Amino acid sequence: MASRTGVERFLGGAAGLTMLAGSIVGLFVVPADAAQGNVQRLMYVHVPAAWLAFLAFFVVFVMSALYLVQRDARWDRVAASSAEIGVVFTALTLLLGMMWGKPTWGVWWTWDPRLTTTAILLAIYVGYLALRSFADDADKRARWSSIVGVIGFANVPIVYMSVTWWRTLHQPPSSPRSVSPDILWTLMLNLAAFTLVYAYLMVRRVRLERLEGELEKRMAYNA
Amino acid sequence: MAVLRRAWAIVWKDLLIEARTKQSFNAMVFFAALVLFIFSFALGPDTELLRRVAGGLLWVGIAFTGILSLSRTYQNEETSGGLEGLRSYPGDARAIYLGKLLGNIVLLLLVEAVLIPAAGILFQANLWPHAAELAVVAIMGTIGFSLVGTFYAALTVNLRAREVMLPLLLFPALVPVLLGAVNATTLVLEGAPMSEAEVWLRVMAAFDIIFFVICVWIFPIALEE
Amino acid sequence: MTLCLVGPNGAGKTTLLKLVATLLRPSHGDARVSGRSVRDDPDGVRALTGLLTVRGFLYDDLSAAENLQFTMRMAGLRPRRELIAGVLERVGLSEVADHRMRTFSTGMRKRLAFGQLLVRPIRVALLDEPYAGLDAQGMRLVDEVIAEYKAAGTTVVLASHQDGEAVREAEVTGILRKGHLEILPESEPLGRHLSVGQPAAFPETD
Repeated sequence: MASRTGVERFLGGAAGLTMLAGSIVGLFVVPADAAQGNVQRLMYVHVPAAWLAFLAFFVVFVMSALYLVQRDARWDRVAASSAEIGVVFTALTLLLGMMWGKPTWGVWWTWDPRLTTTAILLAIYVGYLALRSFADDADKRARWSSIVGVIGFANVPIVYMSVTWWRTLHQPPSSPRSVSPDILWTLMLNLAAFTLVYAYLMVRRVRLERLEGELEKRMAYNA
Repeated sequence: MAVLRRAWAIVWKDLLIEARTKQSFNAMVFFAALVLFIFSFALGPDTELLRRVAGGLLWVGIAFTGILSLSRTYQNEETSGGLEGLRSYPGDARAIYLGKLLGNIVLLLLVEAVLIPAAGILFQANLWPHAAELAVVAIMGTIGFSLVGTFYAALTVNLRAREVMLPLLLFPALVPVLLGAVNATTLVLEGAPMSEAEVWLRVMAAFDIIFFVICVWIFPIALEE
Repeated sequence: MTLCLVGPNGAGKTTLLKLVATLLRPSHGDARVSGRSVRDDPDGVRALTGLLTVRGFLYDDLSAAENLQFTMRMAGLRPRRELIAGVLERVGLSEVADHRMRTFSTGMRKRLAFGQLLVRPIRVALLDEPYAGLDAQGMRLVDEVIAEYKAAGTTVVLASHQDGEAVREAEVTGILRKGHLEILPESEPLGRHLSVGQPAAFPETD
């Protein structure tokens, strides 16, 4: 049960290969953007990172809700693993966004609705992870963090709407501009690569979480 | 409605104790006054600037003061066997949430009744012409704040490091209602017509309704042992 | 009838009482009170049981009468002045009915905690260390109340370190050790293992 599974090896290999391919294509194969130059290449990692962050938090939401209904520790383990990965990729998204913002907008940070919402999202799930670290009892930790997982996600659309209204003067999201097929398929390749990385990390993290839970149980039993 | 009768019993008990000891109210008013003072010091004596940011400062003050009272929500229970005492009675656990919620709202509104006029004097803003609008904004904002706050206070009450965890969980969740309250207050103070502040009243109303439903619905799970 | 639980500190007496009172949820297994499951129908169980804890569920800044009033309201009952006055009389607190509980001694608090049980109808009384902190008169009161419960058909479960009439007269005695309950054969009187005001010395039964 504790050994590396075939699924893990396959996912690891696939993630590594697509990441390599995505990076090569994104950095060297696709021509630079006419308007923004090489800076635009950041998009090939920024957008997938953001997508992954939202996917991860959506998984936290679904698994938390499932846990509250069924009280199966498995769902809690998946939620916790996904939250950790989500936090990492949210931080990465913000970092990449800032690196893109400095040369493009001239500032590291701007109160753009999506940027602001992403930062708040990071705070919500850092809170989720902190709550987990402060709860000793496994059942309570699962129950309390599942509640935060549900409430936190339910809040995201409201946060986004309120921040958007707050910044009505700001330019609308820049995406609808026609995108060349080159850019599009490079983006898709990287999206696939990041999703595979997520799947790989999830499988490993969930296994680790299960082992930790087992250890905790045994230590509690022997104490 | 048995739930409401029992919720009312909790409100009656908590407010009676508060009226006798005034332990939360006094501490909150004093703390809020200090927060306003520190803001004034930090921003300098430029009245024009202070008046412009008064709405924001006021709500930061309310949020900080509110956190103080939220973390004391279940303080009365501390000497009486904790939340266990309330949970040992038959009937819906939601009565505990509703009772504590109403108590928090009343207490925070009482503090605001002192704090808002005080802010008006300190920041030299004439509040009287806008008293009714300000009251509406304050009530809607306070309800939203207390809804999530009372819930998370119950969730963190048995936690190690609950003093850290409560604000850490609460403030990100409060972004919509605080944005709504700050912007509506600023618009009201600027003398803008109510229609301009309406979008923010709507944000607060939506927040209040959504979180009322979620919190009331989930609360029994949060309280399970 | 009465079940008396004895056992060293940390054996799980309070935990067992709290499980029956549904303040703790069993991690596995179940318990039934009058056929109601603590796992599936905790609310139904709470309606039948009353728990006396070591400290009581009382508020320092409410008076004795107000504390009982609050108890009744929380139990879904209409607080009746005469009933509360009667209960305060019964536990010997009539004279301090309107005093804040902050001023009470340990023994008076214990009496008021007993009053909390007496203001509502229950089928199972769970008493955790009912004698702790009481004077001789107070201990007699405990015995009387337990006898009244018995006469009224209310089951009494008590956990005690101290000897008392109710401990000696319990129909069933169980010894808890590290969470394992052992019911003593009826013939063996427990009084032998206890001495007044002293922690019990427990027989080895392995």
